[in-house]
Amino acid sequence: MSSWLLLHYKLPNKPSALRVYIWRKLKRLGAILLHEAVWVLPDLPRTAEQIQWLAAEIEEMGGNAFYWRATSLLSIQGDSIVHQFQEQVDTIYSNLLKRLEKSKPDLQEISREYQLALAQDFFHSKLGPLVREKLTAKRGERS
Amino acid sequence: MKWVTWQNIGVDRMASIWLIRRWIDPAAEFSFIPVGEKPLSENGEPFDIPGARYSHHGGHCTFHALLKEQNIHDPILKQIAQMVDEADEVPEVSLEPAALGLDLICRGLRRISTDDFEALERGSLIYDALYAQLESDSTPSRPDGK
Repeated sequence: MSSWLLLHYKLPNKPSALRVYIWRKLKRLGAILLHEAVWVLPDLPRTAEQIQWLAAEIEEMGGNAFYWRATSLLSIQGDSIVHQFQEQVDTIYSNLLKRLEKSKPDLQEISREYQLALAQDFFHSKLGPLVREKLTAKRGERS
Repeated sequence: MKWVTWQNIGVDRMASIWLIRRWIDPAAEFSFIPVGEKPLSENGEPFDIPGARYSHHGGHCTFHALLKEQNIHDPILKQIAQMVDEADEVPEVSLEPAALGLDLICRGLRRISTDDFEALERGSLIYDALYAQLESDSTPSRPDGK
């Protein structure tokens, strides 16, 4: 059964920049916000470390954070969360694939975005290798 | 001096241990306690444990905190701090492409080492090599080859 990391936190109301900063950081990690209440990440050594430091940073800002390791008691709920993570990264991959179809795509920029997506591809989307294949094929093309 | 951190060291702690031994405390002794455990003061100075003086602060890694708290100003170490930040944090700005590779190698190094003591020795070699190469790259080459 898959295990999850849950994070919920409280930050001081002001300055509001702190909220944006933490929110952006969680988005960059690829975390999903459930019901505007709890952030979820798959339980991996890397994500566990990142959540640990994020929680420490929130405390440092005068906030308060709790993080937990959890399993869903309903396996079907776990499946639905996996699906949400897959959808999130597939949206990015699909966008990259679309751009790769156009003439003279910006390969450097697409590679950069591909790498960022890869860091969030926790459940190994089928589209990831496809983007990689297309990027490799485009390399050195002189059209 | 005694230093204590959690078990299973990675990119930041291998770098920090290397920094402590080479630049701060050559006679440093390290011990490793289970992840999540609160260090006791008799275990030594805690590092890379949330809330410690030498830990992540303001979105920067422990290596960075050691440089700052110890007033070490060395451009190469500053560059390594940027790498460790990018490897260990969630960077908005990526300036050091070597960061991801460094992170992978340090994780793998821990994986193939029998314990943290072996990992820290091997990790030190990586950072010696990194420092030497960055230092050499930072010296502008002269057209006359001298």
